[in-house]
Amino acid sequence: MNDVLDLRPIVPAAIVALTGVVALLAQAFTPKGQSAPSSALSLAGLLGALFSVYLLGSGPAQGAVLAGAVAADGLSLFLQALILAVAIVTVLLSPGYLRANGMERGEYYALLLFSVVGMLGLVSSLELVSMFVALEIMSVALYGMAGLDRSRGESQESALKYFVTGAFASAFFLYGVALVYGVSGSTSLDRVARALSVLSPQALPLAILGAAFLLVGFGFKIASVPFHMWTPDVYEGAPTTVTAFMSAGVKAAAFGALLRVFDYGLGDLARHWQPLVAVLAIVTMLLGNLAALAQTSLKRLLAYSSIAHAGYLMTALVAAPGLAVEAILFYLVAYAAVNLGAFGVIAALSRDGREPVTAADLAGLADRRPALAAALTLFLVSLTGIPVTAGFVGKFYLFNAAVASGWVVLALVGVLTSVVSAYYYLRVVVAMYMEPPLGEDRWARVPPAAVLALSLSAGVTLLFGLWPAPVLTLARLAGRSLL
Amino acid sequence: MNLPITQLLTLLILLPIAGALVIALTRRESQSLQKLAGLGVSLATFVLSTRLVSLFRDTAGMQFEERYAWIPAWGISYHVGIDGLSLWLVILTTFLTPLCLLGSWSQIESRVREFVVFMLLLEAGMIGVFVALDLFLFYVFWEAMLIPMYFLIGIWGHERRIYAAVKFFLYTFAGSVLMLVAFLVLYKASGIRSFDIPALVAAPVDPALQTWLFLACALAFAIKVPMWPFHTWLPDAHVEAPTAGSVILAAVLLKMGGYGFLRLAIPLFPDAAVRLAPLVGVLAVIGIVYGALVSLVQPDLKKLVAYSSVSHLGFVMLGIAALTTTSVTGAVYQMLNHGVSTGALFFLVGMLYDRRHTRLISEFGGLRAAMPWYFVVFLLISLSSIAMPGTNGFVGEFLILIGAWAFSPSLVAVATLGVILAAAYMLWMVKRVFYGGLSNPKNQGLSDLSAREATVLLPLVALTIVMGVLSPIFTRRIEPAADALVRQVRARTEAAPAGVAALEAAVPVAREAVVPATEARR
Repeated sequence: MNDVLDLRPIVPAAIVALTGVVALLAQAFTPKGQSAPSSALSLAGLLGALFSVYLLGSGPAQGAVLAGAVAADGLSLFLQALILAVAIVTVLLSPGYLRANGMERGEYYALLLFSVVGMLGLVSSLELVSMFVALEIMSVALYGMAGLDRSRGESQESALKYFVTGAFASAFFLYGVALVYGVSGSTSLDRVARALSVLSPQALPLAILGAAFLLVGFGFKIASVPFHMWTPDVYEGAPTTVTAFMSAGVKAAAFGALLRVFDYGLGDLARHWQPLVAVLAIVTMLLGNLAALAQTSLKRLLAYSSIAHAGYLMTALVAAPGLAVEAILFYLVAYAAVNLGAFGVIAALSRDGREPVTAADLAGLADRRPALAAALTLFLVSLTGIPVTAGFVGKFYLFNAAVASGWVVLALVGVLTSVVSAYYYLRVVVAMYMEPPLGEDRWARVPPAAVLALSLSAGVTLLFGLWPAPVLTLARLAGRSLL
Repeated sequence: MNLPITQLLTLLILLPIAGALVIALTRRESQSLQKLAGLGVSLATFVLSTRLVSLFRDTAGMQFEERYAWIPAWGISYHVGIDGLSLWLVILTTFLTPLCLLGSWSQIESRVREFVVFMLLLEAGMIGVFVALDLFLFYVFWEAMLIPMYFLIGIWGHERRIYAAVKFFLYTFAGSVLMLVAFLVLYKASGIRSFDIPALVAAPVDPALQTWLFLACALAFAIKVPMWPFHTWLPDAHVEAPTAGSVILAAVLLKMGGYGFLRLAIPLFPDAAVRLAPLVGVLAVIGIVYGALVSLVQPDLKKLVAYSSVSHLGFVMLGIAALTTTSVTGAVYQMLNHGVSTGALFFLVGMLYDRRHTRLISEFGGLRAAMPWYFVVFLLISLSSIAMPGTNGFVGEFLILIGAWAFSPSLVAVATLGVILAAAYMLWMVKRVFYGGLSNPKNQGLSDLSAREATVLLPLVALTIVMGVLSPIFTRRIEPAADALVRQVRARTEAAPAGVAALEAAVPVAREAVVPATEARR
């Protein structure tokens, strides 16, 4: 009875959902073309939710509630805090960008908040059907956000493409859930794990097929090869702040759920799915990095880099579960900070509906905006995985997990493709620092809120690169809670 | 000055970083202030570092050690310390940085603030590499240092600077990432859950695995040294870099390769190091002869000096491969010599370039008459580079050749050829540049050394002589550490003899690993 009434684990999501509804309502009473109240409201709601995550984390340990469907365990709290932080930084980046592109509409913030609700649910679900519902809440809101810039055809294309491939992925996911249910008689990960530990040999192929379908479904969301085709177009077409949010938030939420399903629910099938994930990781790292070499558009470049990073993350997925969770959680933090920063710089420079499209548009940035150029360099260095940045510590952790579990080949592919990535990241740095500026300064003064957002990203990137121990400890605790 | 001795090394790393941070906050326009501040900070760092020499005890163990937990979960600590192998390399770094800043005083006119900041960060990174006693910390400094160097070449370099900067970066980065994987494998294989270098040295891993790990680390270091055939990034980087960049590159950065062998590759993988020593020795000697021959035909002064580095560092690598107390002492000493003499040569070539904006030997001739003091310094440094007795170069090369005799008389014989070739290319160049008539009218109005230039060169000239005549001041402090290293490796490998069969088995493996790498590069 007490179990049913304990709603504490869903408090963060509830706060965000409620804020979303209020934001929509508030918009109805705001003059057209203004969104200031929504952004302040969203910020307050997200901070409140973050505080509630902190309270949950510092309180006594929480068991699963709502008939075992939702939990506030270490993994979910860690990722919820990360997702909320990502959303906060996105909200800080948004007003300037929306104004520059004439998209100051309250729906933006409401959709953002609803998508956060989905993400929060995704990382805290212990049950496959509620996980699916959360996945859909997150995705549907994002489809809408991708298409918000109605004046640009690319934005429309991006939304449609994302929707079609997303629906495809959802179908796979659902089919996988059905197969797993067929084998185990339950959709609760806990019971699935128990059923799989005593699985009869005849049912094994069906279980593996179910796992494969789930992997395909997740593969779309994390942008792993060969389910990545949508990524460049969607990242390029969507409004830049949405891309920033998507690249950091969706990756965190989807990897959180992926970890829970595969390392916990389907842990007994590990020796069947591990080789598959290993192959996918190698292909993803290779293709993501090689394709990025050929890109001229910054956003497409970062999209392929995001695919490559999905590959790096997957190298740790095949490691022993404890190591995998720690390594992936830390990397998600580092990656979120860096990606928000990199897309954030592009968004912050946006003026009169235009933003830097190619590296050449950033030529001479170091002369005109030394601080901004230094920040973007820091983010690119972190993406490459060079000390003293969080990206380096993160890669070190991922590859250490892979090597410690005997997958040296994954680490080798990882580091060698990192060298390839250095080439295309450096090209942007070359433009900023070593090429003379072209024409007049066409870009916007960075608004104060965006300065705060970028400083936060840069601070986290540098701080966790120099002193990662506290986050590592948290990630380790989160990893333990799962096992 | 009564500084806390226990934190001396940390202070040496933090002082340039703090200076860089403060200078980064100054206004773009206050350029002379930035130059002065940079010079002041680097001089203070140098003065501080001399305390290391005065407090150094001539023993083998680590001194000035500091250790703090950093990432306890992985057994990573901030562990620094120096011994005879690293002491002088730290001093070399702190000694050359102020000279570089002074030497670039009028050459660097744009973005002075960034230049000074990158130079100071580079200094901190280099000191860090030489004092790190934890693999993770070592790797952090090793990689982080690439960034300022990349900017130094790419922003203030010559015509093909961007190409050279990117090539430098990718080449060295590619080499080091394999080393990172080797560290991770070592971490797992050793089973002690620590990245601490002394702890890992005390717990050697399986000899078969050592071969692979040694090769991975050796590749990173061989690129840095650079050993033939991994040297192709060097001429581009040297030629395109601004003078200060070339000096730091030649004088300090290249030393990290040799130092890496002595501090990491050999003590961590002693069995493999002994087994693969013939391979390293042969590559070193090929480098000596190849570098000398290529220098002989260079029409460009800076390229000539760059290729002569390949040859000189071949000697260093021969000394390291031979692994006797004398040869290792000589190798460390030769690293210092090369830092002083090649650093000075790059300064000299840069000064000529500042006047004439060309480096082609054929453009010059008869400069002896126009620039007598310049000529005197150039000749002296050239003689040191040739290893003329009485100069520093002689002591180093002599120790290496004597020490390596026990290792392989035939390699020593071929290496000696390099000494003769060095005389040929250097003296021939000196003849073409300084002797003959002042036929080119553009050279007639050239001014001799300015006071600032003389101030930069004087310490280097003085060291050339001091290190040639009073070498025991230096070798006395190097030798105990070199001896300890050699003894430790011998004790390890003789306790568990690798045997002739293992040696023969290792060479094909090594060949397989090296040949595809060179082909891929083409």
